[in-house]
Amino acid sequence: MTLVLAIVVPLLAAFLIPLFHLARKTLSVSLIGFMGLASISAALAAAFTGWFSPAVYLLGGWAPDLGIVLVADHLSSAFLLLASIGTAAALACSLEKFRGGPWRYYTIFFLLIASMNGILLTGDLFNLFVFYEIFSVAAYLLVAFSMSWQALEAGLKYLVLGTIGALFILLGTALTFMATGILNMALLAETLPSIPGETLTAISACLLLGLAVKTGAFPVHFWLPDAHSSAQTAVSALLSGVLVKVSIYAIMRVSYLFFLGTGGNVFLAITIIGSISVLGGHLMALRQDDIKRLLAYSTVAQIGYILIGVGCASAAGAAAAVFHAFNHMLMKMGLFITAGTLAEDKKTREICGLKGLWKSHPLWVSSFTVLSAAIVGIPPMNGFMSKWFIILSSAGAGTVIPALVIAAGTVISAAYYLRVLSAFISPEDERSESASAAPPRRIRRKGISLALVTSFALLCLVLGATAFSPISREFFSSIGDTAVDVGAYVELVTGR
Amino acid sequence: MNTRPFLFRLAAMVLCVSLGLLLYQGIAAIDQPAHVTGAAEHYLANTPEETGARNVVAAILFDYRAFDTLGESTVIFTAVCGISMLFSRRKFHRSSRGLSFIARRGIGLIVPFILMYASAIVLAGHLSPGGGFQGGTIFATVTVLLCVVYGSSFESVHFPPWKKDLMESAGALLFSGVGILGLISGAGFLSNLSAGFPPGQSGSIFSAGAIPVLNVAVALKVGAGLSTIFYSIIKLLEEGGEHPGRGH
Amino acid sequence: MMVTMGYTSALIIFCIGLYTIMTRRNLFKTVIGLALMEAAVLLIIVTSGFIPGGTPPIAPFSGNPVNPLPHAFTLTAIVIGASDIALALAFIIKLHRHYKTVDLDRIRGLRG
Repeated sequence: MTLVLAIVVPLLAAFLIPLFHLARKTLSVSLIGFMGLASISAALAAAFTGWFSPAVYLLGGWAPDLGIVLVADHLSSAFLLLASIGTAAALACSLEKFRGGPWRYYTIFFLLIASMNGILLTGDLFNLFVFYEIFSVAAYLLVAFSMSWQALEAGLKYLVLGTIGALFILLGTALTFMATGILNMALLAETLPSIPGETLTAISACLLLGLAVKTGAFPVHFWLPDAHSSAQTAVSALLSGVLVKVSIYAIMRVSYLFFLGTGGNVFLAITIIGSISVLGGHLMALRQDDIKRLLAYSTVAQIGYILIGVGCASAAGAAAAVFHAFNHMLMKMGLFITAGTLAEDKKTREICGLKGLWKSHPLWVSSFTVLSAAIVGIPPMNGFMSKWFIILSSAGAGTVIPALVIAAGTVISAAYYLRVLSAFISPEDERSESASAAPPRRIRRKGISLALVTSFALLCLVLGATAFSPISREFFSSIGDTAVDVGAYVELVTGR
Repeated sequence: MNTRPFLFRLAAMVLCVSLGLLLYQGIAAIDQPAHVTGAAEHYLANTPEETGARNVVAAILFDYRAFDTLGESTVIFTAVCGISMLFSRRKFHRSSRGLSFIARRGIGLIVPFILMYASAIVLAGHLSPGGGFQGGTIFATVTVLLCVVYGSSFESVHFPPWKKDLMESAGALLFSGVGILGLISGAGFLSNLSAGFPPGQSGSIFSAGAIPVLNVAVALKVGAGLSTIFYSIIKLLEEGGEHPGRGH
Repeated sequence: MMVTMGYTSALIIFCIGLYTIMTRRNLFKTVIGLALMEAAVLLIIVTSGFIPGGTPPIAPFSGNPVNPLPHAFTLTAIVIGASDIALALAFIIKLHRHYKTVDLDRIRGLRG
C-alpha cells in the first residue's frame, strides 16, 4: 500500500494547492513544507518497503496481465531514495527563495514529484509512457517558469525535442503491443525473446531513441544546455540532479528487462552513445563562457559515464552506474546551487565576471572546490571511486575504448573546472573594485542553501572514503544484481 | 532563403526515409491475427460481469486501467496550470465585441441542446461510445462558442477563471477521492466493483459501479481545463488590440 | 490489404512530420510537424487492432468485435498529444509577443 501512497500523496497535494489559493492569496511556507514532508516521507516509505521486502501492488485488484502493477525492488528503491533527497533539497531551496508566493510553481513541483515516483514504481510500459509525459510537461513548465525570454526559448526547444522523444516511446510501445498483445513489463520480459528479429530491432530503436532524446545523450542533447542554464537555481539543480537520473532509470529498466536476453546490439549502442556523450559533453564544456551552460554540458558528459556503465550489461556495470548516479546527484546539485547563488549575487553568469568571490563568499567557494574535485575525479573523492568502478566493469565486459574515453574526459574536465576556480579565486578587477566601494547591496542570506551545499560536499567526502567499505559495496552490488536479474523480477510480479 | 542548406535537407531526408523503412520492416514482420487474442479476449468476454459496463473501451479506461486515465487527466491539469501561468500577468482588456444579433439569438437557442448532448455523452459513457473526455471537450467548445458570439466580457462575467479553477480541482479531487474510497475499503486504489460500488442493472445509467462518477470527474477536469486554455490565450490577443475575428 | 495501406500511409506521414520538424524554420510548421507525427503514431495504434469484418466492442456484440485495447490507448494518447501541442502553441504565441517573429533563425539571432 505504501507504493501507491508514494504517488497519490503528492498528487493530492498538487490538486489541493489551487483550492488553498482560492481560499487565501498567498500560501504559508509551513503548509507547503508540510505537504512536501508528507510527499517525501511517502516516497521514502515506498523505498524502504522495496528495499527490505520487495513488493508488488496490483491496482484495482486485477491480475498483472489485465491491469497495472506497481513494483518496488532494490533498483526502484535506490532511485526513490535518490529522488527523495534531491527533491527535498530543491524544495528547501525554492521555499527559501520564493516563500509561499508562486502557487502554480508549487503545484507543478508536486506534480513532478508524483510523476517521478510513478515512473520509478510502475511495472507497465504504457503507464510508464503516461507518467513520463506528466514528468516532461512539468519539467518544461518549470524551465519556463522564470519567464525570461531565454527561459521561454529554452522551454520551447525542450518541449519540441521532448515531444519527439515521447512520440518515439509511444511508437515503440505500440509496436510492442502489436507484436505481443501484452504491456506488463514482467510478462514482456518473458515473451519478447520470441518475436521476429526485425520487429525487435524496430522496437529497440524506437524505445532507445525516444529515451535517449529525453535523457539528453549526445547526438540529441540540444535541449539540455539551454534548459538547464536558463532555469532558476533550484530548478536547474533539480533538472540536472534528479530528472536526468529518472530518465536513466527508465533506460536501465527497459534495456535490462527487455533486451538482456535477446542479443547484444542494444547494449553496444548504449555504450557507444555513452562514449560519444562523454567526449562531446566535455569538449563543448571547454568552450563555454557561461558558468551554468558549462555545468549543463558537464551533465551531458556525466550522463555518458552512467550510460557506459549501463551498457556493460552486467551486474557490476549496473552497480557502478547507480553509484555514479548517486554521486552525480550530490555533486551536480551542490554545484548548480552554488553557481546559481554566486551568479545572482554578482548579477552575471559569465565566468570572467565572477571574480573575487573567495573574499566575499568563502564558504561557498570552498564547497565548490570540494564538489568540483569530486566531479573531476581526484582520488579520495567519490567521483573518482565511481569512475573507477565503471572502468573496471567495462574492462570486465571486454571493451577498452570506454576506459580510454573516461580517462580523456577526466583530463578535459579538470581543465575547465580549474578555469572556473581560478576565476573565483582571482582578485576583482579595478572596475568592480570601484563599484564595490559604493554602499554594499543587501545580499539576502541564503542559510539553507549554504547548509545544503556544504552537507552535499561533506557527503561526497564520506561516500568517497567509504567506497571500498563492505556496507557500501554490498549496497551497490545488491542493486546491480537486482537490476540484471530478470528472472527474479518476473517471479516477483507473476509468482512463477 | 527560405529553408536550410541543401546538404542538411538531404541528410534529413535520408534519415527519415531509412527510419521509415526500418519501421516498415518491423511492422511487416508481425502477422495480423484474425481473432482477438491475449488480454483483449478476456476484456471482451468478461466486461459486463466484472465491471457492469457495456462499453468495453470505457471499462478498460475507467476500471481495468484507470490509473492510466488518472495520469492522462493529470497531464491536462499540468498543461492548463502551465498555460495559465504563462499568460497570467495581463489584466484582461474588456471587449464586448461579439457577432451580430442573429448569431446571438440563434446560438442562444442552440446552446442548451449542445449542453444536453454533451451531458448525454458523459453520463452514458459506459453504455455507448463516449465518456468523460469526449463530453468534456464539447463543454469546452460551448464556452468557446459563447466567447466568440457574445464577446469575451460575457464569459468573464459568467465563467470567471476562478470558477474554472475550482471545477478543475473538484474534478481532479473527485477522481482521486473515488480511488481513495477503494483504498479505504481494502480492495486497492481505484477498484470498482470489488470496492463495493453497486454494479446496478446492466444497460441502465446507474450501473457499472463508479464508472459514471469517474466520467463526470474527467468531464469536469477536461472541460474546465480546455476552456481555461482558450481563455488564457485570447486574453493575451485581445489585450494587444488584435481581435481574433479580423484578418491581418 | 487495407491494413497494409494503413500502416504504409501512417509511416509516410510520420516521416514527413519528422522531416518538417528538422528542416523548417517557421515555428508554426514545427508544431504542424509534431501534430503529423502524433497523428501517424495514433493511426498505427488504431490500425493494429483492426479485424476484417469487425464490429464495435460494445456489449452485446453482433459479430466479431475488434480489439478494444488500442482504442483505449489512442484516447489516452490523443489527450496527451493535444496537451503538448497546446503548450507548444502557447509558448510560440508568448515568444511572438516579444520578438515579433516566429522565424527560428531570427529569434536565435535576436537573442545575441
